[in-house]
Amino acid sequence: MVVGTGLTRRFGRTTALDGATFSVGPGITGLLGANGAGKTTLLGLVLGLHRPDGGSLRVLGLDPTRAGPEVRARIGYSPEHHRLPPDTRAHDLVRHIAEVHGLPRREATNRASDALWSVGLGEERFRPVGTMSTGQRQRVKLAQAIAHDPRVVLLDEPTDGLDPVQRDDMLALIRRIGTDLGIHVVVSSHLLDEVERICDSAVILREGRVVASGAIHALTGRGLGVLVEVDERADEVAGRLLLRGLETTVDGSRITIAHRPDQPAGATHDAVRDAVAEAGVGIRRLSDRTVSLEDVFLEVGV
Amino acid sequence: MSAPPQAGAARILDRGYRPYEGRRGGTVAAVRALTVHSVQRALGLKRPATQKILPALAVFIAYVPAIVFVGLTLLVRDTVLANENLVPSYGEYYSFISAAILVFSAFVAPELICTDRRTGMLGLYLASPLGRSSYLAAKATAVVVVLALVTLGPPLLMLLAFTIIGQGPDGPAALARLFGEMLLGGLVVAVLQASLSLAVSSTTTRRAAASAGIVLLLLASTAVSDALVDGAGAAPEWFCLDLVQLPFELVRRIYGERSTSVAVAGIQTGTLVAAYVGWTVLFAAFTWWRYRRIEVDR
Repeated sequence: MVVGTGLTRRFGRTTALDGATFSVGPGITGLLGANGAGKTTLLGLVLGLHRPDGGSLRVLGLDPTRAGPEVRARIGYSPEHHRLPPDTRAHDLVRHIAEVHGLPRREATNRASDALWSVGLGEERFRPVGTMSTGQRQRVKLAQAIAHDPRVVLLDEPTDGLDPVQRDDMLALIRRIGTDLGIHVVVSSHLLDEVERICDSAVILREGRVVASGAIHALTGRGLGVLVEVDERADEVAGRLLLRGLETTVDGSRITIAHRPDQPAGATHDAVRDAVAEAGVGIRRLSDRTVSLEDVFLEVGV
Repeated sequence: MSAPPQAGAARILDRGYRPYEGRRGGTVAAVRALTVHSVQRALGLKRPATQKILPALAVFIAYVPAIVFVGLTLLVRDTVLANENLVPSYGEYYSFISAAILVFSAFVAPELICTDRRTGMLGLYLASPLGRSSYLAAKATAVVVVLALVTLGPPLLMLLAFTIIGQGPDGPAALARLFGEMLLGGLVVAVLQASLSLAVSSTTTRRAAASAGIVLLLLASTAVSDALVDGAGAAPEWFCLDLVQLPFELVRRIYGERSTSVAVAGIQTGTLVAAYVGWTVLFAAFTWWRYRRIEVDR
């Protein structure tokens, strides 16, 4: 869907993107990074609003710098800010944006209603945007982004300003758009738990460079290594595991055992069983080692 | 036990989201949609009643003289006053509605482009098939269309009314010629005012500041020109600095009428046209340059 190779973009002396190479596939993709990491610049390049100083970018098979209007016609975009024309009714706004994306007026009118119903604003669709809450405005922004049936929708901080309940609703809505409606979604966010909850994959940026990317389960390393929690004498158990050639880390009663790709599946679990039995201690917990996105973030130095 | 729901009360609450496989317009369709939307917005259509007051007032001011002149012609046509030239010529009409033109110039462009930057709509438009140039083309077209409502509409109304009451041009050829002059004259006024007001509006996100800037620039240009030509006795060509009267003088020449000022009447038409084109291109280029540099809020 979106493939960038060695993308570089400078603004004066500032290098916003520095040789970024990544690939965004189908489903929901999180674009992660601290403020100034290059997320917004990357979205601008995808929309064809900036010309890269180096590298190449393909969006839906097209070069956005040469075919900007064609690319943007098939992309929906929801900005980070909440300022929309306050005296415009939600339905009029969504219909207008659908028309600007090339839909005939009658079709835009019907689809504006459908989109607003889909985001839960069916009953409120004829209210002026200025009378709506932040949560409702976020939904209006989402509705205008999907009304013209884009192939890809770019959402910039879609949960910004929402309370926890609204945030959960919005995340469920985004998940639904990416699965039930068949629209591929790119979510730009700095909230790791959100991305981990709803995204299939992620691209992590730091200072304009892609420092990690791939499927969420691969990034978080599920299934790589084992975590065991014992009643007592964790150091002794860890020592016995070390004798069996396993690399361990002890944190209180928890022992984290690194994955060894040269060992057959189940060998680590067998070693844990034997070590615990020899030490004569009880097991409180035995699970695959998981690494959160936060761990990945810290690991790559974001 | 509650009564069963009646079939007639049933309604569909969720139509469901469906893929769209139909035709999609490109940039041209986007420009058209934005132009229509902008014209509606400037006229206060589909907006609260308070937003309709100013455009309605400007249209009222522009059309009232035309209606009065037509009524006056009807009243005196069979009297001794019929030959007294009580009604101004088409070329002179603009002097009567200069206030309406000023109000519309100061209101329309700020409403259409300052609001888009202030409300973040510019970012949404530039994420559509519209680019910065096509966005400006749509906005400029909308401003010209709305201004033409007061620069072109009233003379057309007078022409229609005079033709109906038998005081219009003689024959279809004369009618077509006058219609062409009217169209050109109305556009000459609208295009310069649109170019100027867009340039001033591109410098701020505040509508009130833009409106004040437009009025000040127009009044200042008249004051400077008058001071140079009438006060300091400078060459009459300095009249070209007057951004209010310059298009009006061109309109007079389009209709083949003489200027009321002897000094202005002596200026070559080519000089006036060159000054007009120069100002229009300068303001348009400034607007385009500003929008090339504007950071879009995302």
